[in-house]
Amino acid sequence: MVEAANPEIKDKVLDYLHKVPKAKSRDIAATLDIKKALVDAAIKELANEDLVEYLYIGTTYVTLKGSGEGLPKI
Amino acid sequence: MTDRKTPLLDELEKGPWPSFVTEIKRAGKKSAKAEDLLGQLEKSFEDKTGYWKHGGIVGVRGYGGGVIGRYSQKGEEFPNVAEFHTVRVNQPAGWFYTSDTLRKICDIWEKHGSGLTNLHGSTGDLILLGTDTSKLQPCFDDLSDAGFDLGGSGGGLRTPSCCVGPARCEYACIDTLDVTHEITMAFQDYIHRPMWPYKFKIKVSGCGNDCVAAIARADFTIIGTWRDAIRIDDAAVKAYVDSGMDISKMVVQKCPTSALEWDATNGKLTLCAEDCVRCMHCINVMPKALRPGVEKGASILVGGKAPVVQGAMLSWVIVPFMKLEPPYEDLKDLITRITEWWDEHGKSRERLGELIYRKGMRYFLRDMGLEPTPQMVMAPRTNPYWFWWPEEVNKG
Repeated sequence: MVEAANPEIKDKVLDYLHKVPKAKSRDIAATLDIKKALVDAAIKELANEDLVEYLYIGTTYVTLKGSGEGLPKI
Repeated sequence: MTDRKTPLLDELEKGPWPSFVTEIKRAGKKSAKAEDLLGQLEKSFEDKTGYWKHGGIVGVRGYGGGVIGRYSQKGEEFPNVAEFHTVRVNQPAGWFYTSDTLRKICDIWEKHGSGLTNLHGSTGDLILLGTDTSKLQPCFDDLSDAGFDLGGSGGGLRTPSCCVGPARCEYACIDTLDVTHEITMAFQDYIHRPMWPYKFKIKVSGCGNDCVAAIARADFTIIGTWRDAIRIDDAAVKAYVDSGMDISKMVVQKCPTSALEWDATNGKLTLCAEDCVRCMHCINVMPKALRPGVEKGASILVGGKAPVVQGAMLSWVIVPFMKLEPPYEDLKDLITRITEWWDEHGKSRERLGELIYRKGMRYFLRDMGLEPTPQMVMAPRTNPYWFWWPEEVNKG
């Protein structure tokens, strides 16, 4: 577990999520070529800041807050 | 209750043992879901096939795990079980409840579900069987108000579980209950937001008797042990002899590493601590005379699992001895490093043991920063998956 997220990684994750409707953190990490644990930490903080939200569709996806409308979520 | 006939299920009520059919019939007097469950089950026995559909996207707000979707393929015939979802509730460490707590849970479940429970599922959770999608959130809200949280499901950390430990057992070498609680609290996110390649189980046993079968079932196994020598009470040994116990036959000859010696002439039992593998056999047979040593901690093992991709695997040792004291930072750090490595390299539905088997133990040990030790070899001549790195080979 990584405690504090890197602000640069948070920005990169937000940029990436602007381009796709939803993504798994594993895929974000692979695309950005960043260690997944660091991406997880960034997403966790972004979720706490209400900028992204989790979607559970078989597994866990993330999306920009509000852009997941219409997608199945819990 | 309807006058439904269930001749095939009735066969399962015969005999001296408890019957789940009897219990479902009892629940069926109050619950239409339980009543229809009997009907569908009888039909399954008649047709020799199951009628459950597994999966679907069901859950409660903010959680990706803890609810397992179940639907009936015979929803028109048995409308009360058309939706029959399972709710997993995180059990207290060691499964200690007061009867008031159990009544509270049952009241909540009779209000929102079928009233049928399974205490406990193989992962250890309290399993509540059978409710509709619309009732999941109110049920969770009531459980939450009563102080309960959901357990794990899907590709994430499953609810950690442990034996009763020092609460009831003199053999416990570690505080299994505290360790389990601490791990559960520290890794909550990974229970509720499943995002790993597959399930990951952590189980904690207080001694080598391994009452929660951690070695066979857990990806990360913690087993209490001791580093010094078994303590021997000579007077108590004599009492066993006086009561007619054949110590040579019952204890010494059954020691797997011949670490014990029995001097029948002088009535003296001695131990070669270096040869002892902490299997617990002698202590189990002579609990009044033999006790674990005083320098206690845990062995950490990884890779246990039931068969799916590869065959069944037993966990194997990666840390022979670790002191386990609050706040367990070394332990949490190791769990974090291992799960990150598995998450990084694992394929979908590949458990940790299978990943180590595929990539090789030496990659795992190198990436974890662990030195290979003899304890990692399961038995003499067992392949420890260890090969020298090319740069370490002296070709001269």
